[in-house]
Amino acid sequence: MKHSITVTWIALLVLTIAVSIISTIANEWAIVLILAFSFLKFTGIAFYFMELKKAHIFWKLALLLFLGFFYILIWSTL
Amino acid sequence: MNTTNINYKNLYYPPGGILMWIIIFLELITFGIALVAMAVYSKESPDVFHNSRLLLNTTFGTINTIFLITSGFFMALSVHFLKQNNLKKSSLYLKLTMLGGVLFLVLKSIEYSHKIDAGLTIGYNTFFTFYWMLTLFHVIHVIVGLVILLVVQRGLNSNSTTKVEDIEASAAFWHMCDLIWLLLFPIIYLIF
Repeated sequence: MKHSITVTWIALLVLTIAVSIISTIANEWAIVLILAFSFLKFTGIAFYFMELKKAHIFWKLALLLFLGFFYILIWSTL
Repeated sequence: MNTTNINYKNLYYPPGGILMWIIIFLELITFGIALVAMAVYSKESPDVFHNSRLLLNTTFGTINTIFLITSGFFMALSVHFLKQNNLKKSSLYLKLTMLGGVLFLVLKSIEYSHKIDAGLTIGYNTFFTFYWMLTLFHVIHVIVGLVILLVVQRGLNSNSTTKVEDIEASAAFWHMCDLIWLLLFPIIYLIF
């Protein structure tokens, strides 16, 4: 449990720094990568820090549906 | 400290409690709609949004993200040790969680101060209207979260009637602040 929290934290820090570096690249794929990495960070916090991985599948699916819908809307708008 | 075993697999008992998760979803949907609206407005004047985004300090945003993520990490550790009845470590990590929140607010205040000095206030343009509205609304959540954690910290002793569920609900609220920031940061600071 403690180990998975620590691994998640390190992964979140790496993804945060990666996202900041990617944002300096002027490329249409940069936006896709930023959104994809942000999706991973969001799920990392929800599933490991908030222990959603232990919850009923309804809550997991609801969060993933919200997140998927949100990022698709943002990506299609830009 | 009352510790009980909760079956999180039950639909009605997600970690943090069903009411807290309903609040979390309402908050995420509210911020989500506002961010989609911001993206829609950016199509009307993409140059304004791009030039305004470049006026934001991405380094501050990144450091603040690290503060909130690390604070969330300490919160998760605090709950972990609480479930093991290790109140001393749980209390220590809860204090570190609050420190992360305070550091976030300090850096955000410095950022706001720079923006006000540069005249980039809420009425400057559409981008900064969204920037101020969304980030200030998030800051209010962080302040409320800190007050909740302070109350939890006071109740964290062996004689307390505070239940693990209470602390899990507080932790879920604190993590919600992380989640909202993770929606705001890439869209406001990075992609326009």
